[in-house]
Parts: sequence; structure tokens; C-alpha cells
Amino acid sequence: MGTIAWREDVDRAVDEARKQDKPLFLDFFNPG
Amino acid sequence: MDAVTYPHENVIHEPETKVIPVRIPFDSPLSKEFVAKWTPNLLWVDTERKTHHRVIGFLPPEELTPAVSLGVGKTFLDTGALDRALGVLKEVIDSHPMSHAAPEAVYFSGVCRYKQTHEAAPLKEAYEKIQAGYSNTEWAKRSAPYRLL
Repeated sequence: MGTIAWREDVDRAVDEARKQDKPLFLDFFNPG
Repeated sequence: MDAVTYPHENVIHEPETKVIPVRIPFDSPLSKEFVAKWTPNLLWVDTERKTHHRVIGFLPPEELTPAVSLGVGKTFLDTGALDRALGVLKEVIDSHPMSHAAPEAVYFSGVCRYKQTHEAAPLKEAYEKIQAGYSNTEWAKRSAPYRLL
């Protein structure tokens, strides 16, 4: 079963967002 | 969201066309920075780490894609990228007209066009479109003052 290609490191995701000129989509979740 | 929405075949690849998706456990120190006190807590954030849209609670698969586009559109609006905002908001309206995100997309499309033209007409058009298609939503009430324009 697939899922979205989530990133886990926000700082690296911000760098990626700058390079790709996209916003970030953060999902705060309960790991249970 | 993990069991139903994120694995859905219509959802898996769509968000990454518009956003960089990041998952963060709610007990992370980042919960304080982003004021995430309940889960699911979905945020649309710019590269300065400023939040422009938030959804708290479960979204079914058919609502996630329009919700992502709406959040992207609001982020573009807030950061002054009005043409890009209008593009993604139009996607919500045209491709997901029955979604919960659609009336909000109509409202903020009117806001974008107002900011581009400084004319009142787009706001009144947004009101009329919401009245015609989404009269039972909160956006009918939020746009109600524009009937006087």
C-alpha cells in the first residue's frame, strides 16, 4: 500500500520548498 | 488519515505536485512553533515558516486534493503571487465544485481579483457565485456584505 512521499526533516523540506518554489504542507499527527 | 485518505490512489501523488509534504509527530518541539495542539493538524506554510492556512480534523480522500490546492492558493495570495493563487483556486472551483473547499476558493478568488484590479466587482461576483452554488455554507455569510457593493 503506497502513501504520500512525506519528508520528516522540516529544515531540509524548507530548502526543498525554496528550490521548487512551493509551499510546505505540514501534517502534525498522533503516532499512537 | 493514515488508514483511509493518504493511501488512496487518487491522493498519493497529487499533493507533491503543489507542495512539499512533511509529517511531524505532535509531540515534536515543532508543535509549539506551529501551534499544533490537536491532530490531525494540517498547515500550509511558506519558506519563511509562516502559516497561511490550517485544517484541524479528518479529511476524506475526495476532500484532500481540493484542500491542498485551497491552502496553496491562500499561501500564494498572502505572499502576493496573485496570478498563481488564481490558478490553483480555479482548479478547486472547476475540478472539485462539490468539495468543502470550493466556496472558500470562490471567496478568495474574488479577493485576489479585487487586489489585482482595486475594483469592487470581483467581490460582488464572488458573493453572487457563492449565493448561487453554496448558499448553505459559512462563506455565504462571510461574503454577505459584498451584496451591497
